[in-house]
Amino acid sequence: MGTATDKRPLLAEYNSGGFYCEMFGRRALSFTKEIRRRLNGLDIAALRHRARNAEKELFNLGITFTVYTDRDAIDRILPFDVIPRILSPDDWRTIESGVKQRVAALNAFLHDVYHKQHILKDDVVPADLVLNHEHYREEMRDFDVPHGTYVHVCGTDIVRDQKGNFRVLEDNGRTPSGVSYVIENRHLMMRAFPDLADGVPIADVDSYGHQLARAMAAVAPKGVSDPTVVLLSPGVYNSAYFEHVYLAREMGAPLVEGQDLVVENDKVYMRTTNGLEPVHVIYRRINDDFLDPEAFRPESTLGAAGLFRAYRKGNVTLANAIGTGVADDKAVYAYMPRIVRYYLDEDPILENVPTNICRETNGLKKTLANLDKLVVKPVGEAGGYGVVIGPRASKRELSKVKTLLKSNPANYISQQMVNLSVCPTLIGRAIEPRHVDLRPFALTGDSTWVLSGGLSRVALRRGSLVVNSSQGGGSKDTWVLV
Amino acid sequence: MSSLLARFAGNICWLGRYLERAENIARILHVNETYGRDDPQGPDWRRVLRLYADEERFDESHDAAGAAEVLDFYVTDRGNPGSIVSAIGAARENARSVRHLISTEMWTHVNIFASEVRSLTARDLRLSNLSSVATMVINGCQTFEGIAEGTFLRGEPWSFFQIGKYLERADQTTRILDIGFDRLLLDKDDAVATVQWNLLLRSVSAYHAYRSRHPDVSRPHDIAAFLLYDTEFPRAVALCVKRMTSLLRDIENRHGSHGVAEVERARRSLEFSLDTGPGHQLTPTSLHAYLDGLQIELGRVSSVISEAYFR
Repeated sequence: MGTATDKRPLLAEYNSGGFYCEMFGRRALSFTKEIRRRLNGLDIAALRHRARNAEKELFNLGITFTVYTDRDAIDRILPFDVIPRILSPDDWRTIESGVKQRVAALNAFLHDVYHKQHILKDDVVPADLVLNHEHYREEMRDFDVPHGTYVHVCGTDIVRDQKGNFRVLEDNGRTPSGVSYVIENRHLMMRAFPDLADGVPIADVDSYGHQLARAMAAVAPKGVSDPTVVLLSPGVYNSAYFEHVYLAREMGAPLVEGQDLVVENDKVYMRTTNGLEPVHVIYRRINDDFLDPEAFRPESTLGAAGLFRAYRKGNVTLANAIGTGVADDKAVYAYMPRIVRYYLDEDPILENVPTNICRETNGLKKTLANLDKLVVKPVGEAGGYGVVIGPRASKRELSKVKTLLKSNPANYISQQMVNLSVCPTLIGRAIEPRHVDLRPFALTGDSTWVLSGGLSRVALRRGSLVVNSSQGGGSKDTWVLV
Repeated sequence: MSSLLARFAGNICWLGRYLERAENIARILHVNETYGRDDPQGPDWRRVLRLYADEERFDESHDAAGAAEVLDFYVTDRGNPGSIVSAIGAARENARSVRHLISTEMWTHVNIFASEVRSLTARDLRLSNLSSVATMVINGCQTFEGIAEGTFLRGEPWSFFQIGKYLERADQTTRILDIGFDRLLLDKDDAVATVQWNLLLRSVSAYHAYRSRHPDVSRPHDIAAFLLYDTEFPRAVALCVKRMTSLLRDIENRHGSHGVAEVERARRSLEFSLDTGPGHQLTPTSLHAYLDGLQIELGRVSSVISEAYFR
């Protein structure tokens, strides 16, 4: 039973703490009005009750990732927050067109890098940055992929700044994950809060599997009219296994592991109850390194020996293509606005977070002069290693990074600190602001299609800007109004 | 439409097997406990160990074979691959690997069921509680069956799921029969024996079915013949074999081939053993040897199926 305080409107005491708010922001107020009215009609006890049921359902449905210890396997869910993040039709038009533009530029860049390398010769992107990159694959030179599509599945990490402008934080062009949560979150939300969404025109997210299957069929090797598409997973121990199952089922495609594939005469087959059957397109959810022990890491048991030869012969298509990693890291990211202009002759629709390239004199000068205000990132590292957040760093740390910058400036970029937007989030018995980002998913076969909305990740710890699930991140349903 | 991946055929077959196995372990523990109620010394738990040929493995890690130890071994011991918690856990892992081929309801059920079974503790295994734990396990397995019946596409995966189930069930029925005869044929007191025979029948949900065939009296060789040869009782060995045969033919037809020779041979040999069994001329010794032989034949069928389809 609700107490007297529970009867106050749910959002009455909410304060966004000076950040741009997805629900109360200047641009959001008009289109979130109805949702806010409905949320205010719920009391906190009811909201908590429904949230608990929703989480229980996630466990029951096994929408979990498994953490293995010596003795046990513990199932964890990605925490789900029940208050949706809402985007207006205008917001979405910007994101959708911006993502499409970015994917087009990435594919053009990859094609160029693996063919004539004009962009390197014109010195728009430094040649050594690309050619010495750990994910650059010389083996891919002069190889034509169907429709010139390298990045078939792209996840673009987007944040919103203090003014409510969208900015790209990262392009994920290798094997981005998280899309299954977008769809499952929606199903969960519609079951737990049918009243909240009733009559609200929300763009649906159910066609992803169908669109994925279409994109995969579109890039089948020449001459194959009814291609067999499979999803290649590292197996049940992978933390994204649930997603692999989900996508295989949505596509109606076999979910294979390396042990199920055989390469004979440069053609790929899978072992079935009826003997070997041909495979034409592989949506692979394992990294380049592990795909083929003959071509890459010899100790890998996740891939299939000879797969790369079959690929180079054009007998099988891999999605995403091999060697896309060269386009999706911090070093190349800094050049993305120039890459967009170079290939498309357009201004970027979605801006980067303002970034200084320290290998350039001007960028280094700006970085050194504003160290206490900027975030300095080494370009070679992943997962946040070596990142120095100026406003939060000690004098010693700042002087240390200054030395590093001067001795090897090419290894660094620096960025303005972005005050990520917040969204009202159920925390304990209260509604509090928490920072969110957004990862829309784009599919490209012969053309690009973007799933409405995307994965909104939320940093559940107070003040945290880190939305990763390994560091206290959760997710929200993302509603694109139509 | 591509054929079923060989690995998945195996996983689905084992999904069926593990659930059937867990259900039968629960049945056997339950019936063993029930048998012992009239015995001043209480139930003989070694009997279950003998039944599953687990004595040696058990004795390596246990000093006594009382109710607590044996029940832990067969219900909650995660280190024992032959325990209920291991079987249901393995069923869940197999289901997880083929989750894109089975219905959401099947997956959700086995997922919840596995976590229920995982949460069982020694406290739940007190003798007074055993009946309800066994019922919980049996119900969980049967619910899965029912959900599969109502939601699982009747394609190749279904066939392998059913094959796994029938192989395991046939094997388990021979074991339950073995445990019954091991004890009961030696029993002089007819009244006590009748009660116990009836318990054995109940343990495989066969009591009423048997009664409808033999309304007068429970005679050991009738019961044995019923559980072995009846072709309408769903847990009888003959019915399981008949179903399995027809499922194997479905798979052959689907592949448009004449079947795999080794599978055919092993299956025919098993059918022959059933057709030419000792029937009503059963003695405890001949029955025991016969059941042993059937178990070996079933094992052979299982391994040729896996050779032919799962790799």
